Amino acid sequence: MSDHVDGPRSIGDPPADITDLFAFTSPKDPARTVLAMCVFPSAGESAVFSNVIDYAMAVRRVSVTGIGNAAKFQPADEEFRFTFRFDVLDRDAAGNVIQRGVCILSDGRELPVTVNDEKGESTPEGAFRVFAGLRSDPFYLAWIPATLEKVPNLLQHDNVLCMVVEFDTRGVLDSEKGSLFGVIAETLPTEPPGRIGHPVARIDWIGRPEQTNVRLNNPALFGVDDIRDLWNQQTPFAISKELQPLFLQRLKDSFADWDIRDGKADWTPEALAANANVFLDDFLLFDIAKPITDQSHLEIEKSTIDGRPYQTGGGRTVDANSIDILLTWLVNHDREFLLGGATGATKPGTKTFPYFATPNTEIQTVAGSVELAAAPDDVWSVIGQFNLQWHPSVARARLIGEGLGQLRRLETRDGREIVERLAEIDNTKRSYRYTLVSGVPASHYAGVINVRPKGNGSVAEWRVDFLANNQPDIAVRTSVSRLVETGLGSLKTRFGVPHDDARRA
Amino acid sequence: MTTLAEPDLPRATDGDIAAINLQSARRSAWARFAQDPRLPGVVEAVVDQERLAAQFLGNLDALDRLDTLASQFSRVDDSFRPSLVHAEVASTAHRFHDARDHVARAVLMGAPREAIERHTLTIDQACGVALDAVLAARRRIATASDRLEDLMPLGSVLADLEHFAEADAVYRQAFYSYDDVSPFPLAWVCFQLGMLWGELVPLPDPDLAALWYRRAIAYLPGYVKARVHLAEVCASQDQTGEAEALLRPALPSRDPEVRWRLADVLIAQDRFEEAEMELHAARSGFEELLEGHLLAFADHAAEFYAGSGNDCRRALELARANVANRPTRRAINKAQSIASKADTRSRPPGPTPSAADCFLAPEVAISGEKR
Repeated sequence: MSDHVDGPRSIGDPPADITDLFAFTSPKDPARTVLAMCVFPSAGESAVFSNVIDYAMAVRRVSVTGIGNAAKFQPADEEFRFTFRFDVLDRDAAGNVIQRGVCILSDGRELPVTVNDEKGESTPEGAFRVFAGLRSDPFYLAWIPATLEKVPNLLQHDNVLCMVVEFDTRGVLDSEKGSLFGVIAETLPTEPPGRIGHPVARIDWIGRPEQTNVRLNNPALFGVDDIRDLWNQQTPFAISKELQPLFLQRLKDSFADWDIRDGKADWTPEALAANANVFLDDFLLFDIAKPITDQSHLEIEKSTIDGRPYQTGGGRTVDANSIDILLTWLVNHDREFLLGGATGATKPGTKTFPYFATPNTEIQTVAGSVELAAAPDDVWSVIGQFNLQWHPSVARARLIGEGLGQLRRLETRDGREIVERLAEIDNTKRSYRYTLVSGVPASHYAGVINVRPKGNGSVAEWRVDFLANNQPDIAVRTSVSRLVETGLGSLKTRFGVPHDDARRA
Repeated sequence: MTTLAEPDLPRATDGDIAAINLQSARRSAWARFAQDPRLPGVVEAVVDQERLAAQFLGNLDALDRLDTLASQFSRVDDSFRPSLVHAEVASTAHRFHDARDHVARAVLMGAPREAIERHTLTIDQACGVALDAVLAARRRIATASDRLEDLMPLGSVLADLEHFAEADAVYRQAFYSYDDVSPFPLAWVCFQLGMLWGELVPLPDPDLAALWYRRAIAYLPGYVKARVHLAEVCASQDQTGEAEALLRPALPSRDPEVRWRLADVLIAQDRFEEAEMELHAARSGFEELLEGHLLAFADHAAEFYAGSGNDCRRALELARANVANRPTRRAINKAQSIASKADTRSRPPGPTPSAADCFLAPEVAISGEKR
């Protein structure tokens, strides 16, 4: 995944884990540039930022100092830095948790920010505008990287914490001195390293997407050391000279493997080495004088390595298909576009500030179980029938079709009609799974009914997962809970409960 | 209360933020599991987060959720992964025999050697089996990685083997070398150091133990176990007001040990009516937990019944179950102490069998008569 969970540290703090970095021209105002970094893979609805981390994006002007097999991008020393810092939690008048922070701008001013305030905050003259909060994860990965098998988006419905800085391009970056820039994002402990302070200067950083999980830690390279933590502790724009050979060799090995994943070698050894050299200098390139589009990601690097002047502003937009662009380049040198199993993230980016889509609501779960004084097979012979006619709330049931895919059309005693489809059934494991077709205001609705042995009796379990559709979660949840509880409750009457339970009752 | 203004302590994310983020990540992981249980790494993420919730936030329902998770996962995945998940879940609930069976199944299904070794070490260490070999393996792993998550079990096995000074040094190494900002690992180290100096060394140093427990709570105000242990220290030093103040915020956790320790504090304050209510709640709480997860709670419940719970027979039953499950030196010592107490309370005057005989021979009742 782009930079999600990109190290083996098993007990790190998730808001320190950078997932992505973006640099693009504002879709609303071409005179403004947007930089954004995201953290906290698979963040839940209540996620907040750490109060002891500096979340920074640093931009440096870059020169092209070589092309073709000598391709090289040289960053300057001058840096434009944007740093977000957050406070401990506070509560508003209604008792809701709120988090405030500041963004320290490249000119040294501090702009206050309230987490999840969609309007963000602007400087008085409007040169800068910032946002911080939970958004739908803009990244999508629809491959199993080790085998290049296409799958649906592995990050579907995920959220991340985003920080966005939008600024007047000319006023801040001054294209007179050069229009090509490199940007990185990093998370740093607010304490400096030292005997008493934090033992490392940096927790995570990112330049181009997938430096760690795809390029350095190519999952198809067996028996090699995981060097992602070592990479994450490098200083951006200044990788340790001592360690450069190690990282460079790993990139060469990795790229050689990627090149033959489709059974064809599309890279000469020299071009492959040039590619590794360019990616070793890991910063996301963007040119403010050229168009940045959903397709322009990595075009600056690719054209330069191929020995021709670049045509676009590179960068990375919210909707850029960065993983497929990268894999296409590595696997077949842009001979044929490799499209994974998804064509977009859960939600596309927006045309207006803060450009990242609203967060996804969490999948709701209703689950119940009941212990019964009957053998698992006896219970399964009743509730394993897909028609649900054992359920007291079902007035009439009709099955349409047979086997997997068959539908059940249920008329409930309160007059509703629900249609559900059989998705999986395993009689040996006494389990079936079904999905909703219509009748409940929900999407991604899936239920599982199963029976397992327990002692001399059995346990019947029923679980339903769903996303409420245009209804409050609680309304749908109440309705589904009633269905599950009534059904499981009726089984107690039918099969009885184990002796201990009966005695307690 | 200690605050993290102490200059020599590594800073970490505020404990309230970390607790909110843990619950957030936990729910999100479950949602991903519901979406597709076979997603890479999702079931393992749920296990990690549920274990953190149980360990640090006293969220004991996590054990039920983990059982559900393992059972659901085994229905959809035919690889070795469900066996490893079952092993992890069984270990978490102290069902070590089950855990070994699941590890054996994972071996047959081709699980990676590293994963098998990790699980086997955890089980051996928890059961006090082949501790010298465990120590050698822990040293090798910790030396290679120098990471907190490998140093902590090394410290723990050193403490089990009564190498207390070295255990202290290893815990401190873990503490000061931690290179991230989550408060959970740091609070964990502080708690282990509190246990080391408060309960494991032959001559406990309650002030030093209290210092480490306070630090654990400063990192993580919702750390239920640290509150309970610090409250015990406070109560033993007649600081019952502070002990009560430590326990009250932990009541929502459903951990019956909170009720039990609070009852003890209330008794010390002569507030017998309130204490009786808390004892009743503790008893119900323990029995409810024992019904679902006997081995996970047998140890602490035995202590409860041997003390304020005032039921020596139940205490001895539970202590026996615990020793049969994990015959560690500590478990045996505890059980001996309980057997001895039970013996003293119930035997008529006359020759006394050894306490060890009482708990190691299940056919012998606590009165010394055949069942």
